[in-house]
This record gives sequence, structure tokens and C-alpha cells, in this order.
Amino acid sequence: MTPFWQRLARQVGDAAFAFLPTLPYSRPEKKDCSGEAVVARGLSAGARADGPPAFRAADFSIPCGCRTALIGPNGSGKSTLLRVLAGLVPPQAGEVLVAGAPPALGRSRIAYLSQRPQLTEGFPLRLRRLVQMGTYAHHGWFEECRHGEDAVDRALAQLGLTELADRPVHALSGGQLQRALIARAFVQGAEVLLLDEPYAALDAASREIIERFLFDQGHAFTVLMATHDPADLARFDRILELRDGAVRTKHACSGHDHRHA
Amino acid sequence: MLDLLLEPLSEPFFVRALLAVALGGVTCACLGAYVVLRRMAFVSTALTHSILPGVVGALLLGFSPYLGALAAALLTAGGAAWLAARKGASEDSAIGVMLSVMFAAGVALMQQANSWRDFAGLLFGSVVAVGADDLLVIAATTVGVLFGLRVLHKELELASFDEEYASLLGARPGLMRVVLLALVALGAVSCVSLVGALLTTALFVIPAATGVLLGRTVPQVMAWGVGCALAGGVAGLYLSYYLPAVPSGAGIVLCCALPYLLARLFAPRR
Repeated sequence: MTPFWQRLARQVGDAAFAFLPTLPYSRPEKKDCSGEAVVARGLSAGARADGPPAFRAADFSIPCGCRTALIGPNGSGKSTLLRVLAGLVPPQAGEVLVAGAPPALGRSRIAYLSQRPQLTEGFPLRLRRLVQMGTYAHHGWFEECRHGEDAVDRALAQLGLTELADRPVHALSGGQLQRALIARAFVQGAEVLLLDEPYAALDAASREIIERFLFDQGHAFTVLMATHDPADLARFDRILELRDGAVRTKHACSGHDHRHA
Repeated sequence: MLDLLLEPLSEPFFVRALLAVALGGVTCACLGAYVVLRRMAFVSTALTHSILPGVVGALLLGFSPYLGALAAALLTAGGAAWLAARKGASEDSAIGVMLSVMFAAGVALMQQANSWRDFAGLLFGSVVAVGADDLLVIAATTVGVLFGLRVLHKELELASFDEEYASLLGARPGLMRVVLLALVALGAVSCVSLVGALLTTALFVIPAATGVLLGRTVPQVMAWGVGCALAGGVAGLYLSYYLPAVPSGAGIVLCCALPYLLARLFAPRR
């Protein structure tokens, strides 16, 4: 039960902001994913927009609902490819469509988990609020979070974080933080999850929780995950290999069976 | 004891000063939370110091010192951003350059005005000289700043905590930084009459640093900061009322530092 003064403060706040226009900045245009989740044609990109390209003229596609592994040696451009698909790095040439549109910034349909998340150290934030940030995608400018509480609770439970919800973020272990970031991506309701080596520095228990979550066929999302673990590849429907500046598809899946299996 | 507290309240100047310190303290403590959490203390120092040439120039040319101060603060922020935008330039040194250039320009302008005494209040604050119109400016700034922080709360919090995720969602972290700098410039300009150009940065940093030690969420940090600023501000005013040897600006800053020291010593480890 929220204390009286808190409810009062919220109502006064809401009343004060009721007259403000709400400018949508990333309103999700929720569509059912059908066909290709990711399409790249003649794609070239480098870690920096003006630097040397990590790969050239790549053509590949990933069907909706397909769990895809992205493999390749260190420095082959896996992270760059994921960042291009997330819209954080512009492509140097070619065209890329994610969830049917160019990955311009500000689209809630793509979730991206960086290999080294750059979080401000010592920032006063509870784990629950961190996960709630995923719902910001469904709020306009000037709006405080008023909906999405159920989704937050569900994601916390699925990733085994319910007990830790009130912990400060900087008191979490690496694995707990990683699970929280995945919960945030899930709360965002994204159709395409781009994950950059999410298992690095995870213990077996954390890793199992994340794996169970990602490969649960009940979730209708497309996964593209950079990974180094050869034992892991059997779980994936498809493998993309980056080597010597080229992208090759090693083994294909037909997307639709996976979504409703 | 009670008489000691009530006696100054019969003086209108003291009541005005009390109101000004309370309002300014709230503004600076809330903005200060982001200044401290984002490690922008140096920028806030540059903005507050660069107010000097703006005010002196405005007095020489005969227009409102607030406009001059605001123009100078915005010039500093813009100049630092422009200098740092060049490849390989560090933002830190760009801010350092702007800070010293603006302050030196202020000193040169003060020489033009030929009277250093008039500017003591500008450098070190003269809260007892705050008039009704100054109070109005301070109050308007407080309302404006709190409104801005409330309306953009989730964007500012997200951009301060995780810049990459903010840009992924389209919350424009670069724009949020500019908004924050503009709010800090506004707050600094309104508070310069309280503790002076040299010490205003203390109002941004000390209460918020106390808040960071005690709060576990951004609103909690702000609340503790406001409490520290109010307590320190009021105590500082009374201190300088009864000990005229202590100037009010210095008294306020010293009294704000006390809760920081206590929090540093006794706050539970997080």
C-alpha cells in the first residue's frame, strides 16, 4: 500500500502535468512480425563511421522468431554489426532493415545489450527502476511511468530477480546486473533482441536462467547473439559467421515454425 | 533561546534573505543532484565564475545584470562545447580555458569600472542586500527549474545513468545534457546574489554530495540535498547575523559543509 502522502503527491503531479502536450518520441507501432526480422543488403560498416570497415557488402537475412548465433574471431566486427542493427552506428554503405524499417534511433522494437554496458558508477537507482526503464519506450516525453508494472513484475520473476528488486544497482553482482539488463530489454516489448556476448562473466546458474528465458519458445522474438562458445551453437536455429570482412549464413531455419512451436 | 531566533525576523531584510536562501537552496540542491551524479562539478564552477564578466559588463553598459549574467553563462557553456567538439580535444581542458578566460575578462572589466568595492558583493555575495525584485527573480527561477526537472525526470535520469540505452530509445542524451546545462546556468544566475560568483558552485555541489551519501534514488538524493541546503542556509544567515565578522555567503557555505561532514562520518555504507 502506497502511503497517503505519496498518492497525494502523485495526484497533484498528474494534475499539474495534465495540460502538457505529450510528444511521442518512441511510440511503438506494434505489428506482428512476419517474414524477415532483419534484412541487410550490401552492408558495410566499421566501429567508427569514418574508420576502416569491419565487413563489406554483407547480404543476409534473419526470419522472424529465429534464434541466431553470431560467431567469428575477436575483432571480426560482431559488435559493430550488432551496433549497426541497433542504430547506434550508421552503416557506411548498403541498406539494413530491422523489424521492417531502418534502425533509426528511438525505436522500441529493437533491444540491444552491449558487451560492456556503460552505466554511470554509483548512480542511486534500485533494480526495479532499472527494469522499469524498459517501459520508457511506451511513455512519451514528459510522462512519468504509470503503466507496465505487471510486465516489470513478470520479467523480474522470470529472471529470478524478485527478491533483489529493492537492491541498489551498484550493489548487484555482474550476473545479477546482466539479468536485470535482459529483463529491461524484455519489458521493452522488443521483437528483435540483439545481444553481445551476454554470458561473459556469468556463473552457471545465471547463465541457465538467461538461456531458459531466451530459448523459451513461448516468446515470440527474434534473437541475434554474438557468442564464442562452440558448445552453445546447437541451441540456435541459424548461425551467422563473420570472417575476413564477409558475413556467411551457415545453417538456415524457416522462421514461422519456431514462433508457434 | 527562542528570542535569539525570533529577533532577526523583525528585520525585513533578514526575512527577505531567509526566503532568498531557502528558494535558492532548493533550486541548487535539486540541480546539484544531477551535477554531482554526472560528475559535472567543474562545469558548474565554470558557469558560476563566468557570471562575473556578464554582470560587470551589464552594469557598465546599463542593462539588467541578470541578462548579462545569463548571456555570459550561456557563452561559457557554448564556448566549452565548441572547443571540446574538435577531435582529440578534451572537454575538461575546454572548460578550464573558458573558465579562466571569462574570469580574466571579468577582472579586466572591473578595472574599467574603477571601483572594486562595489563588486565585493558580486564576488562574495550580499544576501542581506536582496531586494523584493531579486526575490521575485529567484522565486521564478525556482519554479521554472523544479518544473523542468519534474517534467523531464525520467529522461534526465535515464540519460544520466545509461546514455546508450537513452539514445536507443530516442530520449536524446545530448539534448538532455544541453537542457541540464541551461538549467544550471539559470540557477547559478539567480543564486549569485546569495553567496557570490566565487562560492555559488558550493550550493550546487555540497548539498547534493550530502544527498548522494544518504539517498538511494534520485528523488531521495534531491530531498536530502534540499534538507541540507535549507538547514545550512538558515544556520548560516543566523551565524552572520550574530557574528558580523562572518560574511553571510561564507557563513552559508560553511554551515552547508557541516551536514556533509556529518553524513560522510556517520552515513551507513551503501
